[in-house]
Amino acid sequence: MADVILKNVRKNYDPAIHQDTLRDINLDIQDGEFVVFVGPSGCGKSTLLRMIAGLEDITSGELNIGGNFMNDVPPVERNVGMVFQSYALYPHMDLRENMSFGLKLKKVEKSIIEKRVNNASDILGLDPLLDRKPKELSGGQRQRVAIGRCIVQQPGVFLFDEPLSNLDAALRVKMRIEIAKLHKELQSTIIYVTHDQVEAMTLADKIVVLSPLDPNAATNLEQYGSPLDLYHNPANKFVAGFIGSPKMNFIEGEIVEVGEQESKIKLVTGDIVSAAVDTSRASVGDAVEFGCRPEHLVEDTHAHAENFITGTVVVAEHLGAESYVYMDVKGFDFTFKARSEFPTNNGDELRVGLPTKASYLFDSNGIAFPRTAKYNKD
Amino acid sequence: MAMVQPKSLKYRKLATHVVLCLFLCLIIFPLLMVITISFRTGNFAVGELIPSNPTLDHWRLALGITVVNPDGSLTPPPFPVLTWLWNSIKVAGISALLIVALSTTSAYAFARMRFRGKATILNGMLIFQMFPSVLALVAIYALFNKIGEYIPWLGLNTHGGLIFAYLGGIALHVWTIKGYFETIDPALEESAAIDGATPWQAFRLVLLPLSVPILAVVFILAFIGVITEVPMASVLMQDVDKLTLAVGAQQYLYPQNYLWGDFAAAAVLSGFPITLVFLMAQRWLVGGLTAGGVKG
Amino acid sequence: MGLSASPGFMQGKYAWLKLLLITAIVLLNGYAIVLMYAGGEYAFALLTLVVVSTGVYVFTTKKMYAHRYIFPGIAGMVVFIIFPLAYTIGIAFTNYSGTNLLSLERVEQLHTQKTYMAKGGSFGFQLHQAAEGKYVLALSQDDKLFVTRPVEVVSNADVRARKLTLETKRIKLQAVDALPTSEKAPIKEIIAHRQFFNNIVLVTPEADELVMNGLRKFSAMKPLYSRLADGVVLKESGAILPGPSILRNNQTGELMLPNMETGYFQYIDGDGEFVGSRLAPGFTVGVGWKNFERVATDKGIKEPFIEIFIWTVIFAGVSVALTLAIGMVLACLIQWEELKGRAFYRVVLILPYAIPAFISILVFKGLFNQNFGEINGILESLFGVKPDWFTDPIMAKSMILIVNTWLGYPYMMILCLGMLKSIPEDLYEASSMDGAGPISNFFNITVPLLMKPLTPLLVASFAFNFNNFVLIQLLTNGGPDIIGASTPAGTTDLLVSYTYRIAFQGDGGQDYGLASAIATLIFIVVGALALINLKLTKADKTA
Repeated sequence: MADVILKNVRKNYDPAIHQDTLRDINLDIQDGEFVVFVGPSGCGKSTLLRMIAGLEDITSGELNIGGNFMNDVPPVERNVGMVFQSYALYPHMDLRENMSFGLKLKKVEKSIIEKRVNNASDILGLDPLLDRKPKELSGGQRQRVAIGRCIVQQPGVFLFDEPLSNLDAALRVKMRIEIAKLHKELQSTIIYVTHDQVEAMTLADKIVVLSPLDPNAATNLEQYGSPLDLYHNPANKFVAGFIGSPKMNFIEGEIVEVGEQESKIKLVTGDIVSAAVDTSRASVGDAVEFGCRPEHLVEDTHAHAENFITGTVVVAEHLGAESYVYMDVKGFDFTFKARSEFPTNNGDELRVGLPTKASYLFDSNGIAFPRTAKYNKD
Repeated sequence: MAMVQPKSLKYRKLATHVVLCLFLCLIIFPLLMVITISFRTGNFAVGELIPSNPTLDHWRLALGITVVNPDGSLTPPPFPVLTWLWNSIKVAGISALLIVALSTTSAYAFARMRFRGKATILNGMLIFQMFPSVLALVAIYALFNKIGEYIPWLGLNTHGGLIFAYLGGIALHVWTIKGYFETIDPALEESAAIDGATPWQAFRLVLLPLSVPILAVVFILAFIGVITEVPMASVLMQDVDKLTLAVGAQQYLYPQNYLWGDFAAAAVLSGFPITLVFLMAQRWLVGGLTAGGVKG
Repeated sequence: MGLSASPGFMQGKYAWLKLLLITAIVLLNGYAIVLMYAGGEYAFALLTLVVVSTGVYVFTTKKMYAHRYIFPGIAGMVVFIIFPLAYTIGIAFTNYSGTNLLSLERVEQLHTQKTYMAKGGSFGFQLHQAAEGKYVLALSQDDKLFVTRPVEVVSNADVRARKLTLETKRIKLQAVDALPTSEKAPIKEIIAHRQFFNNIVLVTPEADELVMNGLRKFSAMKPLYSRLADGVVLKESGAILPGPSILRNNQTGELMLPNMETGYFQYIDGDGEFVGSRLAPGFTVGVGWKNFERVATDKGIKEPFIEIFIWTVIFAGVSVALTLAIGMVLACLIQWEELKGRAFYRVVLILPYAIPAFISILVFKGLFNQNFGEINGILESLFGVKPDWFTDPIMAKSMILIVNTWLGYPYMMILCLGMLKSIPEDLYEASSMDGAGPISNFFNITVPLLMKPLTPLLVASFAFNFNNFVLIQLLTNGGPDIIGASTPAGTTDLLVSYTYRIAFQGDGGQDYGLASAIATLIFIVVGALALINLKLTKADKTA
């Protein structure tokens, strides 16, 4: 069991040519926590994981695992185990050999190896497969072996690099639940990389949102917090747009009335809407972006209906349990998550409400204004 | 193909078989000729495609056995064919092993490590490999003359020197092996590193066992390349009993000493094992050749 | 892997061993380099220096960890490919050849070892036994008689057994009236002590020095040439000879200088101008672009060179075209799934590639033989013709192309077989919907789709055939000869075999300089081909 602390970590692959990949990353991962690194491709989340594993060197900054300074320690001595995206099972060894390879290299006693392998295969249900080669296994089974190979090492920190991305959708959901269960059982620290925000939201105790580093930005660590915190109180437009599915709707506007509890914004459509945010650090006339999640938009007949805007329906998808209506509002794309049988035709004019309490507001630098209320649709 | 085929297909197939068989005859003709010639009496007999009174004399000579002629005179074997064959196999075997070892370690670095000048070195290797060594023979001769002054067993007229000289030609093999390594998931070695393997252990215990097929291909290509090499061996080797087969075999067909029948037997004897190895390995070789790109 | 923790060099329990090993390597090679440098072998000294110091740097610097893996391979390439290449280009600017083989120092040494019989003339020599194993040497010329006092002599066997190095010993002679009366030693005694006698100088009372130059003869031999100090001033014209290697003929008093333009020692006249003939052996000197000028201007070289160059290009081009055409058609035929016995066809069709080329080429050399060859036997019985495969240039060239096609088509077939697999089946299905037959499929789908990935391989194959030395060397050895060429040159010679013959075939004088100049030109052609190939390969990968 171990905690992981990163201080001002920076990664630069080739100082001569390239920009930094990661800059000024500060994280404090508690012992036993399940932390997910999430972000679009190219944000350096896998790189950060590999730096913790010791597969990439740390350009500058400090890495501590279990209270020890680890920057220059080889991977094997970092007390970590890793599950690779491709699983990286040794094709020429059977499952038992795959799982015991690391212990053998460390010259662990044979009886202990046997005990640990059996224990891990018990947990993961691999018993009948131990004498098979990896190529004889299904994707889900391989995934389990990769995890088993970690478990036998009894590492303080488990590192998962997009472990579910090679599985089909149904299996992915199943494995996701198993990994969550495993975390409960083992109670060990897990760091997990994914580009899928659903995985992040469902698995994580805490989420780290990373963005592709802008050369001028101080850091590309956008926010570090619990899933719901990220959902309700995104620190900036990037996090707001990244967390939540479908994506949050954004529309430009300017502040017409500053307030500590509620502010008024004039949208580019000409509509004036009120938002439950604290804009006391801004002034009237400042350019802002107004945000509202698709699931928070309401029909104009809804009880909370207020702050109406009108758009043209581009296309509507009826998924059975719900419908997604895609609209064009003065050149801004809007998605409206509507009830199942919501009647609409392409080209229709549609009026929707933006509930005051469900609104998000970002200044011209993308930084969020603090929200003052929580929205409940019902 | 389960496609519905037109009726003309039957004739097309027949025509193809006829064309292929005719072509096969052309291909096999010289080979069959050599075999019959090796059983023909004397070195100058003309005409007969199937020898009327076959003799094993040429084969005896090729195997190093002195032949007693009907008139009682003795014909000693003209050349030490078996010695040449052994020289060729020895030199080619050791060279190929060393070439595999050298190109594997280089290919590992090129496939897996980041270092300065990687692309330049790789491209440079390919370009320099294309320069024919025949043209630099004067320099190579001088070089080995010089090496021999300091390390006699690597100098002129030594098999050590010849093997040493062949180690320069690894560029294509490096490319072939590198291409193969790149198809192996690098996460395997990273996983090994986390499991506690040193880079050498990761290479030795994970990457190498997975690369056996390509290493076999490179070994065979290098082996055949060395066996069939003429110019370097003909300049570096001087004593008759140190020659390789490729250099020595020429001596059968000098106009002033034309031993056609003896040559045929020696050619079949020495060519057969090499051909057999190649044919057995050809399925794997196809991949290696397509990757390497130039006849080895 | 950016492994942050690759093992450091000077760590671990064997650090001292590594240190010891490195030190030993550095010392040994350092010594060898100094030796080579002192011996004037600058190129080899430089090569050793570069290879060894790079090696030591790579294996002792932590930063160069990755380079350790490639160093042995790269070093091999540098030593056996790049160095000979550079060395060859260097030779192209010298007159290095069979007649100008040695260095100036070595030639000067050879000249200064020559002797002539000087004043004093020749003496008959007898050995007389004296007391206690000592001998008296007695010399006679007409009425002059000289003897030494009894001297101790060393036998050859002693010299060998005790590994003595004999120093030149001067022994004075005294004039006497009569030879000693003691017994004359038999000639085998002289032979048994020959090494000793070879190393003594007898000095007559007139101070003439005599050395042994025959079993029964001592003569006044003097070095024919002695080296003068640099900067000699000529009496007649006052010209100053800067040197080096000014030799004076001790017999005639003439001065001799190395002619740095021709590479020979020559006598000079009073004005310091070279007169008289060249003295063999010659030495190696730089001649600038002269070898290249010869290729460009000397008729006996230029015309064969151009003829051979054109033939080389034609040969390489036609070989590639023929092998590709046959190989591609065969590949298409034997990958046709409807065809039975494909595996058999495939194995037999690959045979020519499987048999070592040097054997099949020699087999063809015999089969094509004009008088006893089986091919002419069949042709004569069928058509009554007996082509002159080896003496008629056109027939010889056809024969070479036939043999090379036989040798080379399986390679193309193998390549095409591999690439045919990557053409999606549905293209053929689509074209059969459009009503295309097998022939139009071949020309409209197969050929265009194969050509792109094949192009770099075709360029490589062109380069291989451009330098197909073994085929020519074993099959025709270049013949029939080109008439009027001043170096060995044949109508079927490729540039490589032409170059090889200039350098190694004795009758042309083994002109390494010229051969290297032509080699340099070929390097340029091959280098261009290699670059084109690289571009094509890259274009193929990015496309």
